[in-house]
Amino acid sequence: MTHSLHRLGTRENLSHDYPLICMAAHGINEEGAAAKMGRFLEICQRHGPVNLGDMKQGNIFVHDAEDIIRNITNTTLVQVVFDDLAKVEAVLRDLVAENFDLSVVVSGLTDATRECCQKVGLEVHTVSQSLGIRGNISRLPSREVLEITTMCGHGMTASGLVEQMIDDIKKGRATPEKAAETLAKPCECGIFNTTRAATLLAAAAAQ
Amino acid sequence: MKLDSDNCIGCELCPPYCPVNAIHMKNDVAVIDDDECVECGVCFRSRVCPVDVFEEVVAPWPRAVRQVMSNPLIENPDTRIPGRGTEEVKTNEVTGRIKPGFVGMGLEMGRPGTGTRFTDVQKMTQGLAEVGVNFEPQNPVTLWMTDKKTGKIRDDILNEKSLSAIVEVSFPIDRLKAVLKKIDEVAQQIDTVFSITTCVKVLPDGSLPTDKIFQELGITPYPGSKNNIGIGRPRFNFEEGT
Repeated sequence: MTHSLHRLGTRENLSHDYPLICMAAHGINEEGAAAKMGRFLEICQRHGPVNLGDMKQGNIFVHDAEDIIRNITNTTLVQVVFDDLAKVEAVLRDLVAENFDLSVVVSGLTDATRECCQKVGLEVHTVSQSLGIRGNISRLPSREVLEITTMCGHGMTASGLVEQMIDDIKKGRATPEKAAETLAKPCECGIFNTTRAATLLAAAAAQ
Repeated sequence: MKLDSDNCIGCELCPPYCPVNAIHMKNDVAVIDDDECVECGVCFRSRVCPVDVFEEVVAPWPRAVRQVMSNPLIENPDTRIPGRGTEEVKTNEVTGRIKPGFVGMGLEMGRPGTGTRFTDVQKMTQGLAEVGVNFEPQNPVTLWMTDKKTGKIRDDILNEKSLSAIVEVSFPIDRLKAVLKKIDEVAQQIDTVFSITTCVKVLPDGSLPTDKIFQELGITPYPGSKNNIGIGRPRFNFEEGT
């Protein structure tokens, strides 16, 4: 349940990580939803997201943003991620001003997100929380790797690739920014935060 | 996924891309462990192979389960949503899926990055069935149950493996402690990991009905949450149930 939740991190590094999702309720308001989701992405694009994508097509590190917006279908989900809460606030303000009427969810630090909504006159309706990971946790990679891989809620960004990117940065074969882009490509939907990933990769490589 | 090992040049670029470590080198060429492969398609879509040895094929049933649950670009024909996810909290102001007085819960088996067999998924569904939960009807795992009262999943998919599978349930809030206790029991019996989500409608004073219960149990949710901001229309009328 919910690919933008369960992002492992500290309050500090999560304060630069705000995914947004927009979709229609199937069978209720899906008619005409493609154009509305396109409009949602256009508004988000205006405020400088780190990443943007459509669940059925992929993200801006693989496809052109205009192509993505042009080819949206009614039953998909579209996603963006911002590294700055002020930008999220600006998006929400625009959505309110346009009476935007498809469902939108904002993920991120609970108190900061709530405050951001209140500033533009919105009240959070329903909340998902993560109670963490259980089961055979001996099978998990290190926390530093998990803080990066859990930014792809569909599990497309492999822990082995993260480890390789850290090694490449250590050996001067890649910059943290280029390594972050490599990791963002498999995460099709567009909520992998390359800004945050670059910071985490640099820190891991420096250890 | 097919890998044409005969044409592999042994560059070793592809194994790190596999989310479940199903690609490895054998006799200087890459091979896929078919039993571990979840058909997510990452190796194929990454185009990391310089000689294109990967071929994405339509998997027959029951292996098709792997593809539809692990490749998020494929629309599930039953839920009409790409991948294994569901609408859950995302559209709740329109659908009324999670009602006041109830907790929606998702147990995402195999997440993060471990993958799960449906034998482990069934251990969770059967455990939860014992404590009286409602399985979400518009969820792939529920749709593959043969008995929703017992949580039994159809036999032919039990050995299939997917990147994850979401067991989605709801129940009255006063059942939360019993449900969490059962989840802890099942956690000891499985080979994989799982991530736990709770979903609730926000109370009029802005608090969550689960806050006090988590406090009593010593549970601290992650600092980040997922928030439906309530702008979708038409809005579900929770008082009238329409």
